Amino acid sequence: MENNNDMGELKSTNKKQVLLFYCVECEELARKVAAHSQLITLQSINWRSFDDGFPNLYINNAHDIRGQHVAFLASFSSPAVIFEQLSVIYSLPRLFVASFTLVLPFFPTGSFERMEEEGDVATAFTMARILSNIPISRGGPTSVVIYDIHALQERFYFGDHVLPLFETGIPLLKQRLHQLPDADKIVVAFPDDGAWKRFHKLLDHFPTVICTKVREGDKRIVRLKEGNPADCHVVIVDDLVQSGGTLIECQKVLLAHGAAKVSAYVTHGVFPKRSWERFTRKNDGSEKGFAYFWITDSCPHTVKAIENTAPFEVLSLAGSIADALQI
Amino acid sequence: MAASSPPLPSYFLSRRKSLSSFTSFKHCSISLHDEKRCRFRCHIKSFENQPPNWSVDVLSGTEPVHLNSPSPMTMASASASDSSVKTVKRVCLFYCDETKALAERIAAESDAIELRNINWRTFEDGFPNLFIPNAQGIRGQNVAFLASFSSPSVIFEQLSVIYALPKLFISSFTLVLPFFPTGTSERMEDEGDVATAFTLARILSNIPTSRGGPTSLVTFDIHALQERFYFGDNILPCFESGIPLLMNRLQQLPDSDKISIAFPDDGAWKRFHKQLQHFPTIVCNKVRIGDKRIVRIKEGEAAGRHVVIVDDLVQSGGTLIECQKALAADGAAKISAYVTHGIFPNRSWQRFEHDNGGRPENGLTYFWITDSCPGTVKEVMSKAPFEILSLAGSIASALQI
Repeated sequence: MENNNDMGELKSTNKKQVLLFYCVECEELARKVAAHSQLITLQSINWRSFDDGFPNLYINNAHDIRGQHVAFLASFSSPAVIFEQLSVIYSLPRLFVASFTLVLPFFPTGSFERMEEEGDVATAFTMARILSNIPISRGGPTSVVIYDIHALQERFYFGDHVLPLFETGIPLLKQRLHQLPDADKIVVAFPDDGAWKRFHKLLDHFPTVICTKVREGDKRIVRLKEGNPADCHVVIVDDLVQSGGTLIECQKVLLAHGAAKVSAYVTHGVFPKRSWERFTRKNDGSEKGFAYFWITDSCPHTVKAIENTAPFEVLSLAGSIADALQI
Repeated sequence: MAASSPPLPSYFLSRRKSLSSFTSFKHCSISLHDEKRCRFRCHIKSFENQPPNWSVDVLSGTEPVHLNSPSPMTMASASASDSSVKTVKRVCLFYCDETKALAERIAAESDAIELRNINWRTFEDGFPNLFIPNAQGIRGQNVAFLASFSSPSVIFEQLSVIYALPKLFISSFTLVLPFFPTGTSERMEDEGDVATAFTLARILSNIPTSRGGPTSLVTFDIHALQERFYFGDNILPCFESGIPLLMNRLQQLPDSDKISIAFPDDGAWKRFHKQLQHFPTIVCNKVRIGDKRIVRIKEGEAAGRHVVIVDDLVQSGGTLIECQKALAADGAAKISAYVTHGIFPNRSWQRFEHDNGGRPENGLTYFWITDSCPGTVKEVMSKAPFEILSLAGSIASALQI
């Protein structure tokens, strides 16, 4: 597309220079994002703490960010790291920046909780409330970029002073699948209806298999509900993995129905307590193991832990984030 | 003397409730064990048509936890003589793990305060899994939560409860946060400084409103006086002080007429001198000599006095120790210290030794702290020169506001 200079006027090309700050655990991902685009420059913060454990933070070159588009790459991998990042998130918009974007690839909490009873405390809502109170900057409400938020309704938890931007890691998976030698034999499997609701539209050109949990006595067993995996390379798709139990049961069912190979994709490899170890080649009796296990780099601690460990492959969100920062 | 069976706080509460149905009784002794760490006797002097008047004696001389009769309540109810018992608000008090001991003391102060519990669990990923049992039972009630943000890692779980409680159709919500952390070491000197005190104030200012309107926030001796302006309009901060507890305690001392108050710097003087004006005062300050900063006495005289250094909090203790040295050099007979908040990171309380008599440059006669920092209270409870002055009475009164 040519820029017609005779038109003189500034047809906006949507190219913004962005200054990217980041938390300590996200340094690697931040570097990758900056490497994707010349428009993105990394900035630094001094993350120290006082003796009493509270943060002692300093934003370097705070004057130079005036009038600039600023972003912060956050990761709330545990409650302990929230407060220090929040202090920065609440401060940056007020430094006369032109706009502020918070990139929080993984929005934690809410993955287990159900408001079933009046006493249940919704921590996902607490998190959304905290983020909704980010001060506005000269650029208006803060944009909050989140990948594959767990519950679709969670998008409504946010107040009007933030603009949530819901992205997905699925395009990265599609790209990867097209590179595989058996790309024409791929079938996508959803471990439950929730996953199907979240993702089927993005993957509708693949044949699909849907699983479901059925109650038998005390136990809940994964069963095949629809679709036929026989002789195919089945890729189980979900937004996140915790203990991995669901994926393993799903895999068993698929193999029992004749799948040639089973792989998995989750956007967020939460894997508390190193539960990823269940999936490594030596632990699973390799023949029956996962061919590939794709995760993104939304959970930096996991990425560090599983580096170069089969069957894991990390699909980086860096390019997607770099694009989102141009919005 | 009370029976030897150890009454748990709930036992104590149920006894108290049955006693309140008496319209008149003059004198009652109840013995209370607080997790077997301290034992004290509680006298209720009179209940008919008068505000409850308590005095507490320490029985076993080990770890004194002093509970004093709350003066604000006495003053307030003096003007509403025989209706004082009727205007008392019933309050459901929730608490977190670290504040359980203080919550129990608060509930022991008043019939009107009832403890409620929360199930604090975590999911595998470390995030909180919280449940408020009998949530429907608090509808229409005045509810309070006793929080303690001793470190950043405990903030999120407590915040989840703090944000959830007001929306359960309660009639009012009070957040009691005895110690407001952060902001003690920070200065906004440069545009890059990040004010975490402001972050915390912002987070608290966004507590949802309940049917009773904005949440009340009770905090003691907030470090920077300006911090009161950090709070938005949806929250009503109630700034209390631990100094009345200190004054009560000083009046009990045998040498109370020889007491002078010392302020380690001008900041402390600004914060506290009005509350302590009937004591002679000494003001210290830090003077730069070459590279070093030395504490000097700016005004007042220590010679022959029992000097009590007063400040809002203590961290490493360096300031207090230097102040102590300057006062000893000036001839103080005895030196004690009071801080509302004994933060003592990295167990810095270990620097403080007990002066049994005559060596004020090496030790303190008393070091009073309140129970605003529960972690410290656990560690110093039975160790001289430390004595804990409990905020329980003061909090119980504040809950009536």
